[in-house]
Amino acid sequence: MAAANLTMTNLEKLKNLVIDVFLIDPSEFRLDLRRDQVDTWDSLGVVSLAVGVQETFGYHFTQDEALSVTSVSDVAGILSRHGITFDGA
Amino acid sequence: MVPITTDDSVIPVLLDGPACGVRDLEEHWDRRPTFAYLPEKSVVTPEWVQDALQALPSRFREDHFCLLTSGSTGNPKLVVGCKKRAERLAEVLHRVQESSVVAETLVSLPLSYCYAFVNQWLWARVAGRRLRMTPGLGRPDVLRESLRDAHDAMLCLVGPQVPVLFRLFGEEQFAGVVRLHFAGGRFPQQHLAGLRRMFPNAHIFNNYGCAEAMPRLTLRLAEDADQASDIGRPLPGVHLKTGESGELLFLSEYRAVAQVDGSGCRVITDEEWIASGDLAHVTGSGRWELLGRSGEVFKRYGEKISLPQILTTVSNHWHGQVHHYRDRDGAGEEGYVLVLCPAPAQETLQMLLQAFRGGHPRTHWPLRIESTEALPLLPNGKVDGLALRDQENKSLHWRQRI
Repeated sequence: MAAANLTMTNLEKLKNLVIDVFLIDPSEFRLDLRRDQVDTWDSLGVVSLAVGVQETFGYHFTQDEALSVTSVSDVAGILSRHGITFDGA
Repeated sequence: MVPITTDDSVIPVLLDGPACGVRDLEEHWDRRPTFAYLPEKSVVTPEWVQDALQALPSRFREDHFCLLTSGSTGNPKLVVGCKKRAERLAEVLHRVQESSVVAETLVSLPLSYCYAFVNQWLWARVAGRRLRMTPGLGRPDVLRESLRDAHDAMLCLVGPQVPVLFRLFGEEQFAGVVRLHFAGGRFPQQHLAGLRRMFPNAHIFNNYGCAEAMPRLTLRLAEDADQASDIGRPLPGVHLKTGESGELLFLSEYRAVAQVDGSGCRVITDEEWIASGDLAHVTGSGRWELLGRSGEVFKRYGEKISLPQILTTVSNHWHGQVHHYRDRDGAGEEGYVLVLCPAPAQETLQMLLQAFRGGHPRTHWPLRIESTEALPLLPNGKVDGLALRDQENKSLHWRQRI
């Protein structure tokens, strides 16, 4: 599991995280997926996503960042600004 | 077993198991002095029982019997029953369960378990039927032979035994079982089709009750409902109502007369409504429906969580065993952990997660989904919730990141 995680791209890691946190079907995942399109992206979902980002990428969202996220691409954008790149994104 | 004594200050304590034959039990039932009947292995010692029973009023020192509740709550206590009341209940059960066609009862649970004690041992005695002891699932080979040899038999089980039966006996059918009774927890509604295959001639009953009821309160024929939470209607002589917080309360002609624990004896009066430990409501048709154990309904982030309702969702997608234990999330908020047995396939897990997404808000989702090779069981066949929480070899399949 850990070895597989090492070979995953950051985009794949983000995809798995979003699927796992919001329980969406893999086919639903898109970078431009917005909060208002996911019924399970509620307040606890915001917290879960922030915890998941820290566990997966080692970056801790500030409170403002966590609250400003309205789409998957926002997450990728914040992480990119902190050196975590998403090739192909 | 403590031998029969002529010392009236000592209440004989019988231990279930090979040391105590059914004949010993018969002998103590026939004598007037009250006796206690305990599981062979339990959280209390005969000495604890003797000490606790010092508090028993003199009027209960004859014509009564004491059984130990499972202790799964961590607070073991003795329930004191009246022999005559219990015999009356056995007669009522014989009538309402249409047991005249039953020739024998196969015992696969510890007889010291209130349900088996009244539903099987005492019923067999009162109705003049054969009692056949088996070693239960501890010796599946012997149990299978007993089931193969069964003739117009009644069998009493608890829900967690069913998947084990299926695993052990596969597609085998036991046509000699004509009555199949369940009690001691959630009715295994999800296994009904399998039970019908295994016991093609059996009428299947959901028997709701509790130790303080000694032990039965309601009766439901399996066909009469499609939800495990439906417990049917009260037995003759039993009255049910709900308390202010939705707790199920009962008055019963057969109930225990006192409870005894390390802190003393509490006498139960005839007028006292007793809490069964469950939340429930009555439907328009007069049937009763469980909403959860008093401790199985709790609030998480302000939302009421009913674990039995959640288990209903789970059982629609998962046909193995399932149990749960309580835990807290990283914010200190109360939640629960779902434990499946055996480990689910990835596809099944995904279906389960989708069922949570589709049918429940996030607050209802489990903190974790784990699996174990075997659910730890108490001697009476119920899942040992405390041991399950502490079990070290569980596998983690999914968790909420919170």
